[in-house]
Amino acid sequence: MTALTAGDPTGFDPARAEGGGPSDTVRSLRTALLLGWRVESNWTDPTLFVIYTVAKPIASLLLLVVMIDIIGGAASADARTFVVLGSALWAMLVAGIAGPAWSVLEDRERYRMLKYLYVSPSTFLVLLVGRGGARLAAGAMGTAIALVFAVIVLGLRVDLGAVRWPMLAVSLAMGIVPILAIGILLAAICLQTRQESWSYPDAFAGAMFLVSGVVFPLAVLPDPVELLGLVNPVTWWVAAVRMAIIPDGPSSIGGPGSLWTAVTGSAAPDATTALCALFVTGALVTLAATAIFRSSERRARDQGLLDRTTGS
Amino acid sequence: MTGPAATRAGVFARSRGGTDPREAAEWSRRQVAGNNLRALRGRAYPRIRGMTREPSWVFFEILLPFLTTSAFVLVYRALQAPEAYIGFVVLGGALSAFWLNVVWMMAGQLYWEKSQGNLELYFAAPMNLMAVLLGMAVGGLVMSSTRALAVLVISSLVFGVQFNVEQWGLVLLVFLLTMSALYGLGMALASLFLLWGREAFNMTNILIEPVYFLSGLNFPVGRLGALGAMAIATIPFAVGLDAMRQLVFAGQPYITGTPSPEVEALILVAMTVVFTLGARWMIRSIERMARARGSLSIRWQ
Repeated sequence: MTALTAGDPTGFDPARAEGGGPSDTVRSLRTALLLGWRVESNWTDPTLFVIYTVAKPIASLLLLVVMIDIIGGAASADARTFVVLGSALWAMLVAGIAGPAWSVLEDRERYRMLKYLYVSPSTFLVLLVGRGGARLAAGAMGTAIALVFAVIVLGLRVDLGAVRWPMLAVSLAMGIVPILAIGILLAAICLQTRQESWSYPDAFAGAMFLVSGVVFPLAVLPDPVELLGLVNPVTWWVAAVRMAIIPDGPSSIGGPGSLWTAVTGSAAPDATTALCALFVTGALVTLAATAIFRSSERRARDQGLLDRTTGS
Repeated sequence: MTGPAATRAGVFARSRGGTDPREAAEWSRRQVAGNNLRALRGRAYPRIRGMTREPSWVFFEILLPFLTTSAFVLVYRALQAPEAYIGFVVLGGALSAFWLNVVWMMAGQLYWEKSQGNLELYFAAPMNLMAVLLGMAVGGLVMSSTRALAVLVISSLVFGVQFNVEQWGLVLLVFLLTMSALYGLGMALASLFLLWGREAFNMTNILIEPVYFLSGLNFPVGRLGALGAMAIATIPFAVGLDAMRQLVFAGQPYITGTPSPEVEALILVAMTVVFTLGARWMIRSIERMARARGSLSIRWQ
């Protein structure tokens, strides 16, 4: 046993194997973020990278805007603003939830580095959060450019004086945690599945479109599905950001025929309620995602899934 | 003859009907065709068989896309759009399965194979690489047909879509032509993506939403004016979707500004020929380059 003491002449320090607590975690996260960003962006020149990053959100935006313009009607200006904001935010969400899942698939199937990353001193979860964070940053860039595009090309009117800047900053920041948590949940699933899982994050995000009030108010959904939307942090995130940018705009949560209005009696949640709901639902989803990830990680280790490569 | 030479001669004798290796290397047309058909079947097999080995795809490839389609249906419902548009969305949602398959599992496939180290084995194997590409296409077509059919049936039942088909034969023909043009494009893109290297993954992403928009996934493509006309002339998904919409929703006044289904069928024939010949030329060029450079097919190069 004396060989494992700090005073060992071979120079082995057992404290190093135990990690340095929060400072190590921060260092791991920073390294993973940087690695993720480089993996994302270092293969091409910046102009091409920006084109790739913004083409997807802008096309999604146009798809919905054309749908609204075809139908037209008196409500189309309001509907346009509602949809444009939701759709632009969606780019950030899709990038954030795809990040950790694609990291698992890339590192396992393509680069075959997952097993080495797993045995490195960094915590696996922290590593995936970092990689997901880098993709989220790229997605946020897409969201910002899509919004600028909407203002310049699609005529989205935003009164900068009326924007509630502190609420915008707080809601954007608070949304990052549940978005990455959903990404971690998908990473847990991709640890168990095969290479075809590349399209799973997109499919998952597409389904969340239905229950998040992104492009239509939750009131059009049946009550049980609406309830599912109300416990979804993404619903509150999108609603809070919308409330901050267009304070007097239509609500995705309340309104005639909505479950919210039926239960609370109010037309729509106010800013404080939206932020509190975002915090509570976000915390619940984050805890659940972490527990599921831990369980998936254990199973992957037991079944030897960390270095499995598949194909079809 | 004794030892390894005798063993080798025995193998030739059993497999090719002779004992001379040079003679055994001279394959008849029938042997070549049989070999390529086996390669095709072998490449399609993991995709079709894999469907039964990875049950999660039922949830992610059928249920979730149905929910995505439902979201777009509800956008139209929230806007109080005419019921015909619900049908347009459902058909677009079903056919998008094929486009996703072409992009993810055809266009990017040779690049993934390279990343996994399989590509050099493909180039070394005594077969035509077109057989491999066709095998990928056949396997992918079976996979995505399941998803497309499920989304179509479930969505039609849930949202009460009314189809009005007057020319069943033409519907079938247009569907088959759309698939051949789509997978022909996928085979051609497979070689291009291989050359683009790491850009392939990002190209995969860029080919989804922008193509959905240009092809009028949720609305008649004629509404896009000149942009729609350009899409009809160049994107098989756009022309196939528009022709199918005209045929399965016959008499709808909302589908305007595009050629008739017969003309679009001819466009699809032209696309099939161009893309398939293009794919053949490109895969041969890639094969030559792989042999000349010695690095194109190797991982990390």
